[in-house]
Amino acid sequence: MKRKVSLLIALVMVLTTLLVPTMANAAEPVKIGVIGPLSGNLATYGESTTNGVKLAIAEINEAGGVLGGRPIEVIAYEDDKGDSTEGANAFNKLVSEGAKAIIGSVTSGVTAGLATLADAEGMLLLTPTATADTVTDGVTGVFRACFRDSFQGDVAAKVAVNLGVTKVAILYASGDTYSSGLYEAFKAAAATLGLEIVATESSSSTADTDYTTQLTNIVASGAELIFAPYYYDSIGPYIVPQAREAGFTGFFVGADGWDGTQNTMTDDKSLYNGCFYTNHYAPDDPSEIVQGFVAKYTETFGAESLTALAALGYDAAYMLRDAIEAAGTDDTAAVIEALYGISFAGVTGTFTLDESGTPQKAAPVIEYVDGVAKFYAYI
Amino acid sequence: MDGLTLFIQQIINGLRVGSVYALIALGYTMVYGIIRLINFAHGDFIMVGAYALFFTVPVMIAAGMPPWLSVFAAILVCATTGVLVEKLAYSPVRAKGNKMTALITAIAMALFLENLAQTLFGANPKQVKTIFDLPQVFGVSGNTVLTIILGVVVMIALSLYVKYTKTGQAMRAVSEDKDASLLMGINVNRTITITFAIGSGLAAIASLMYVAQYNQVTNMMGSMLGLKAFVAAVLGGIGIIPGAMLGGLVIGIVESLSKAYIAPLTGGLITSAFSDAIVFSILIVVLLVKPAGILGKNTGEKV
Repeated sequence: MKRKVSLLIALVMVLTTLLVPTMANAAEPVKIGVIGPLSGNLATYGESTTNGVKLAIAEINEAGGVLGGRPIEVIAYEDDKGDSTEGANAFNKLVSEGAKAIIGSVTSGVTAGLATLADAEGMLLLTPTATADTVTDGVTGVFRACFRDSFQGDVAAKVAVNLGVTKVAILYASGDTYSSGLYEAFKAAAATLGLEIVATESSSSTADTDYTTQLTNIVASGAELIFAPYYYDSIGPYIVPQAREAGFTGFFVGADGWDGTQNTMTDDKSLYNGCFYTNHYAPDDPSEIVQGFVAKYTETFGAESLTALAALGYDAAYMLRDAIEAAGTDDTAAVIEALYGISFAGVTGTFTLDESGTPQKAAPVIEYVDGVAKFYAYI
Repeated sequence: MDGLTLFIQQIINGLRVGSVYALIALGYTMVYGIIRLINFAHGDFIMVGAYALFFTVPVMIAAGMPPWLSVFAAILVCATTGVLVEKLAYSPVRAKGNKMTALITAIAMALFLENLAQTLFGANPKQVKTIFDLPQVFGVSGNTVLTIILGVVVMIALSLYVKYTKTGQAMRAVSEDKDASLLMGINVNRTITITFAIGSGLAAIASLMYVAQYNQVTNMMGSMLGLKAFVAAVLGGIGIIPGAMLGGLVIGIVESLSKAYIAPLTGGLITSAFSDAIVFSILIVVLLVKPAGILGKNTGEKV
């Protein structure tokens, strides 16, 4: 009796080993990894971006996955805590677990570090949101879904010219890759466009809460416009109200980090009139793809975390799907090959990736009118 | 704007930040003065109080009452948090370990509270409704004036309390010699609990003035605030109540003036972005030159 049981078990084991590979081949998932700051003070960006990715992956798998029925499986949504070392650990972990491609990270600082690793490993790194110019410089296999900062700085300077001002001031965070990159880009563009920079003030990080001192100096310089490349969590509650309190009545221009400021404003919304920023998409764009995304996102995750980062995360996942389909395989090198020069139509615009892996697209400029984000112009 | 007006304006800007630091430093210094524990979680008590305000201010407004009344709810929440942290974390560690273990536990509690808040309330910053609508007083914002007044009131009240009440005497005794106080019939544990309740309650008052000034609550808001207030407390003389007030205002003014004038003074070599570095180097200088702080007596004890 005992022998019979063990024979049976052995038979089952042999059969399983025979069966497993054939079953797996039919719908073996395409494994990818996602990295973003899911905790720490940048967690809100990580949350929005990965929500966008999650939404897109769920849709893709619902529609039958890629390569004729293989689902995309996210090995893990890794947390880099906004820190380069944590980011590198997450990257290595995902690579060792067999990721074919990695979407991430969110901030330029962490992503720049990952880009070097990806280049060395031959891994595909697609960042939805890292706008710093240097991220895709001198590396292969690194792509983004967003435009780059030098372009944003350019657009911001053109907005200033459009508004008819000549004297501009800059307030930026010198310890932040994103903010100082935009500062450099704006400064260069302002010089070519004939804008006079009358004051340049800085803070050590974008997490400061009091800018009154710098803003007092800016007011004293007689600037008509302030270029402030900060994030929404300091623009809304601190920089704009403190500038108005210090007696500044002119314009503000910012970049995509401003997205979401409508949720961080103080009670007096009129303070924010005359504030403009470049963004990746205009939520009030009536096109079907944008409105469809806004509706689906709000239904799944609520409206609070719906920002341009979510739209970029969503587009990044679809870009990856298109590249895998175009390559006809999930082999990393082939997908990298397919991504260069790919044309894509998504929530954040219709564009083609250039030879550096960066999209060529137009930036919508958004204006705040009594606390509501309104589309101003494409520049 | 001429140079002098600008200079005065920058001093006023310094008072604006400094008054908040001072209010926070008072709680810091109170706990240190009694238990000799640098409560690194104190900054995060401010965060707890700020979240309490975020939730209770709309309730007050809906009930037609002045929004600042919700500070009492915040005091209750903060004091409870403080006592819980003391009972669950500090007290067991104090019984077993030494000062260093207590200090590390405090850092752990700070991280714990920050991450707990993120889990509970999410990572998105929350906006608090306008709490005070005060007119400017001689060009100084009403919020700043009120913060300074509150700071002075708290400072005086605290000094009187520690000096003249029975509990206050017990606190001083515990701070002097824990074992001897026990022998004299003082309930040491109860005294420490009260100290924490008061220290954390003060954090709620600081939260009120912080959110009145800056309107925003995040789970990470306490860490930098706590560090700056710690520097302020050390500068004034940690454990000395008026020292905290003085230290806070001095730190605020140094921060503002260094932001305003360091770039032109050094020809752009050092910019306003270095102001935090300057503030923290004050800590190093104080520890080297006068470890007991401005108002402290040199007793040879190291902080």
